[in-house]
Amino acid sequence: MSISEHTTTAHALTFGQRGFLSRFGPSNRTIFPWVLMAPTLIILFAIGIYPFLYSLYIAGHNVILSKPYIPQHFVGLYQYQAVVQDPEFWHALRKTLLFTVQAVFIEFWLGLGLALLFQRQLQGVAFMRLFILIPMILPPLVTALVWRYMFYPGAGLMTYYVGAVTRALGLGEIPFLSDPVIAFQTLVFVDVWEWTPFMFLMLSAGLASIPRQPYEAAEIDGAGSWRVFWTITMPLLRPAILIAVIIRTMDAFRTYELIVIMTRGGPGNATTTLNVFLTKTGLEFFDASKAAALSLIMMMIIIVMSFVFIRVFRSKTEVAE
Amino acid sequence: MKKLSSMPESPSAPPAQRNWWVYVVLILVCVVNFLPYLRVVMAGFMDGATSSSATPIWFFSPSLEAFDYLIFEKGIMKNFFNSVVVSLASTFFSVTIGMFCAYALARYDFPGRDDVSFWVLTNRMMPPVAVLIPIFVTFQTAGLLDTLLGLIILYTAMQLPFVVWMLTGYFRDIPRRYEESAMVDGDTWFAAFRKVTLPIMAPSITATAIFVMILSWNEFAFATFLTSNQAKTMPPAIMAYSIGADIKWNVLGAAVVLITAPLILFVLLLQRQLISGLSQGVVRK
Repeated sequence: MSISEHTTTAHALTFGQRGFLSRFGPSNRTIFPWVLMAPTLIILFAIGIYPFLYSLYIAGHNVILSKPYIPQHFVGLYQYQAVVQDPEFWHALRKTLLFTVQAVFIEFWLGLGLALLFQRQLQGVAFMRLFILIPMILPPLVTALVWRYMFYPGAGLMTYYVGAVTRALGLGEIPFLSDPVIAFQTLVFVDVWEWTPFMFLMLSAGLASIPRQPYEAAEIDGAGSWRVFWTITMPLLRPAILIAVIIRTMDAFRTYELIVIMTRGGPGNATTTLNVFLTKTGLEFFDASKAAALSLIMMMIIIVMSFVFIRVFRSKTEVAE
Repeated sequence: MKKLSSMPESPSAPPAQRNWWVYVVLILVCVVNFLPYLRVVMAGFMDGATSSSATPIWFFSPSLEAFDYLIFEKGIMKNFFNSVVVSLASTFFSVTIGMFCAYALARYDFPGRDDVSFWVLTNRMMPPVAVLIPIFVTFQTAGLLDTLLGLIILYTAMQLPFVVWMLTGYFRDIPRRYEESAMVDGDTWFAAFRKVTLPIMAPSITATAIFVMILSWNEFAFATFLTSNQAKTMPPAIMAYSIGADIKWNVLGAAVVLITAPLILFVLLLQRQLISGLSQGVVRK
């Protein structure tokens, strides 16, 4: 592989048998892992930690991008207070949580169902995988554009054909993107369309790595399929579920393109999630400090959620083992 | 679910003719997943009037009007080239660098390992919009605004947490004794890593690389704000060319064809590696 050829020379130089650097080499089990991790940690520090600290600085001051002439001074926790006292923040937080929970929940069960269907090893369905994966492969931007076309008043396929059905039933047109409640559910629907394949892929991989022995034992014991599913498949699938649900939750929490392109947070503020609110604060009202405080609060929420997930899943896995 | 039907060659697997409903469900899923995309691709080959008519038109004489507009009037091939360079380079760097970090996390039990692992993941938690302003200012100072190099560095850093997390799981699945026996035979650590571990890991690394490449190819928020002209990649270009005061649906369709053609082709060619690589070890032992 080209990757290995590329790095061979560098490593021969660095970890030569007799060189000074060899004392940090593979034989040193305390320092060597840090040597291996150093490039990653340095890059993440430069691009991850530094902007984070900078955000922390901005959030402690009063920076308005459109008014650079205002003297900057330290304002303590004022910006965080401003965020927490803003009813728009609580509205956006509620919308974000509602969106994330609904989308991830539906995606998980649909993805698991699909993965179980594919486990059946049917003839001639392998090629179907590609079709199923298409929504996930498309750039989020493209997904949003595609669905804008689907919901386009008039000739959009959804508007036209679903509209034909609802008119026949006497319900009139469905305002997919112009009614506050329906627009929100439309976005959940598109997110489910886009990311169920991801769940399917991750859970398929998890299912494939479950050993056969527990199933054979269950068969001998005469356990029913429902029981087998809950006592064998689900516990053994837990690690795969953990990583799939965490990644998806984190990404659903900060969905951006989809909402910005399809509804721009509207109608009104019905689909204004935290990320849309953040973009409005920072890039439309140029209130960089409030935006920075908001982004740090968002990050705390995501970290706490992930931490809880990891804790809950780890403890259950240990019990299961 | 029928009893134990998920097992290959299971004696109790239901005979194929009882599975017709599974085929119906799967075909339905395929149609739902594929039709919207197909429809937009069709729009790309329509002329302006056909693509925005009041009723859906399914049969039309194809027109290359929209492609003509994008390629010759807007010069979209330059954006295409930028996207190729940025996603290939950032994938190469993030996988090469992240691989060693993942290896260390999987193989060595050192103090603070779980903390490092979790900290790496938290780097994925910051909303891109949140770090946009600091990164913009930094890039401005460093002269990296609107350069391919800037995007490559940024995407490498963005993809690293994902690479590390995926590969750590895969490395854990490889028994340590394979490497140890190679090292007993007189190989250095790196030789053992290259000759034993890497070949076993190849499918997983390929799968991870495909994922990362797709993510880089699709990235929109940073590309929009950090590039303006020279280094503009496909996503912001498409946004700029197809969504204006009024949307030209056929231009949008053509743009979608151009940005997705490489992805579809790529995944079609590497589908087997993608699936087998992922199934090798999402699950930790």
